[in-house]
Amino acid sequence: MTINRPSADTSHLYDGKTVRSSAPSRKKAAGQVGTGSGIPEDAIPTVEIPGFIESLLGGPLVPKMKFLPPDKMVQNLQIGVYGVLVGLAFLTYIISPPQGTMWYILTGSLGLANIMQLTIIASATVLGFMGTFKRDARLSLGSNLLFILAILRFASSKTSLALDVDIGPTMLSVLVVVYAVLLIMYFELSNGVIRYSMLDTSIRTNEVYVMNPKKIVGKYHRSLVINPILATLLAWFVLSANTILPAIVGIFSSDTAQRMRESVELTSVYGVALGTLFVFITVGILFGLNLPTHLQRFRERQAE
Amino acid sequence: MWSRKSAMLGSLAVAMYLLGLTLRNTQLVTIAVVIFVFLTWAALLGNHADVASSGRRAEEWNGEEGVALGNVVAMRKLSSARMFEDGELNVTLRMQNTSSLPKILEVRDRVPEVMRIKEGANYILMELGPRRETFIEYTVECPLRGFYSLGPVTVRIQDAFGLFHKEKELHVYNDFLVFPKMEDLKETFVKSRVPKIFTGAVNIRQPGPGSEFYSLREYFEGDSFRAINWSAYARSGKLMVNERERDAVSDVIIIVDSRAVAETGPVSRNALVYSTRAAASLAKYFLGRRDSVGVIVYGDEVVSVDRDTGKKQLYVILTKLAGAVARGNIPLQVVVNRILPHINKGSPIIFLSNLEDDPAIVNALRDFRARDFDVTVLSPSSLEFEFDAKRIDRTGYEVMKTERDVLIGELRGLGVNIMDWEPDMLLSTALAGARGF
Repeated sequence: MTINRPSADTSHLYDGKTVRSSAPSRKKAAGQVGTGSGIPEDAIPTVEIPGFIESLLGGPLVPKMKFLPPDKMVQNLQIGVYGVLVGLAFLTYIISPPQGTMWYILTGSLGLANIMQLTIIASATVLGFMGTFKRDARLSLGSNLLFILAILRFASSKTSLALDVDIGPTMLSVLVVVYAVLLIMYFELSNGVIRYSMLDTSIRTNEVYVMNPKKIVGKYHRSLVINPILATLLAWFVLSANTILPAIVGIFSSDTAQRMRESVELTSVYGVALGTLFVFITVGILFGLNLPTHLQRFRERQAE
Repeated sequence: MWSRKSAMLGSLAVAMYLLGLTLRNTQLVTIAVVIFVFLTWAALLGNHADVASSGRRAEEWNGEEGVALGNVVAMRKLSSARMFEDGELNVTLRMQNTSSLPKILEVRDRVPEVMRIKEGANYILMELGPRRETFIEYTVECPLRGFYSLGPVTVRIQDAFGLFHKEKELHVYNDFLVFPKMEDLKETFVKSRVPKIFTGAVNIRQPGPGSEFYSLREYFEGDSFRAINWSAYARSGKLMVNERERDAVSDVIIIVDSRAVAETGPVSRNALVYSTRAAASLAKYFLGRRDSVGVIVYGDEVVSVDRDTGKKQLYVILTKLAGAVARGNIPLQVVVNRILPHINKGSPIIFLSNLEDDPAIVNALRDFRARDFDVTVLSPSSLEFEFDAKRIDRTGYEVMKTERDVLIGELRGLGVNIMDWEPDMLLSTALAGARGF
């Protein structure tokens, strides 16, 4: 045994001790000796688990890591986020005037409420830019929450605009739908930046191998186009309940249809709720009939 | 299955919808509707909801895969089913899509945690065309001995936004065995003092059948003419024959301590790892010398490989050593009591243990010595492993080291050839040290 020790004399360590003929239990000793009783680092294989925020934002394909510089796909997504962010900030300000915000209710001052609202929107935008640029999911999540906070308004059944512009109710609805779709697209694109950064990094560090990446990315790109269009159409359909319902009722009774058109409830948020109810009851029935599985089976059979 | 993202969006949509109705806020309701539409569309494309709506009972349902993953098949091929530590294993995973639709799949072949991917990847994102198959190749490094299994293959299909996914575990398993690595030994300094009747390579300093010259003696009737030394006959005028030194096969018993305490220390550096490697190296050496080697591994039970010779015996021993798991706390005395009646008196016994947590160890080894067994103890020091891993501080180390030295001294006093085997010491050096060289 050759161990270099500062002092060979260790007799003082035995004062008041009984030396046993067998070595003590390491487990027991490890618990008694104080420092360093933790499990050694190399005793446990490294298993990295995605963070909570990463999982909330779609879940990474691979564990937590520092991203490598963005590739072209990620850069394009970042540019997309910047564009959507500018449009979203502008639309948020337009369709959420300070009247009805909680700041207005709390302070009673339109000027202060306006400043607060502008601050929230500006913060959301700046955080969004930073989150996308730095590819930090926490900043993006903060930005998402601030955008939602900006839209929380009381007593705003009738949509109004912050700008003094006179546009028709249809245009107003279009604006609201476009705003909602932009918000969701912002959520998705900022999440896409993180997801594809992770994927790209893990490809380049050989953790994941991607076969035919163009097709996989192509599918995502297609979805980025198709989904907003579909969402816009369906949302428009839901929001047009106040015109669709009277039209259907009009087939049977024109008077009732007229009364419905003039109904305050139907033109308010409750009309939207009614439309949502109808549409999603239909969707629920389709799911209840196991349509997705039948659709998949049909597609499989068709392909054969 | 819902991902956390979709669950979060769903909750957000419900909250916004209800809040929108409460606050009479059309914008909130609109955002909620758009989120619902997104989720619905993703669920529709992702073949979702077949579990909820199919009405099947849980026990009838054997996965969440749905129709889309029903046509995905996996097969695996390994380059070898047996290897030594630090060896490499080439894995070829064959993925087939028997469906007529292309699929974008996430495939993960589960590899034991202690293995390292050296080349390629076991996690693949792929677009698998209709009725196509693809081969995924990767290499894993196997740093630690043991029985291992590759698999299952997890396949996942999800929508483009990662909102919903279906997962399927393809139960394709391949077992393989990693033997402890061996050190080439030139000399072990371990010899039997008790001859056996079989010929072998160990000289036991007695005349008999063998290959080495021992002495000359006068010719007796019945001696083989081939043994006559004609030169000696010419010199002395008497018929002289060559006597040869008897070769013998020794019974060598190797005892490996695989109690739970043997695994104290880091995964790759602990007494059990060292002991199994040493046992494998010694077994190879002795079997190469045509000795008869038996191995006893004890932990929560006593597992023994009966003495035998040859390559097949080496394979049996390596397999047992590969499967040694640190469990239980059987004292050495139990092993001694069990094997004593079955081993030849005077046979060399090599004991590999960190000598910890067994108060009866001195008595057990005394029993061996009392019966004139040649006992060699190689003791990988768990204390050093733990100290290196900064698990114990210097004072604790010093105290325990001294206690260990006292124990080793006591065993040495019994006539046991013992060596405190430090982590960086070669086996041959430790053996030489134990035998007093």
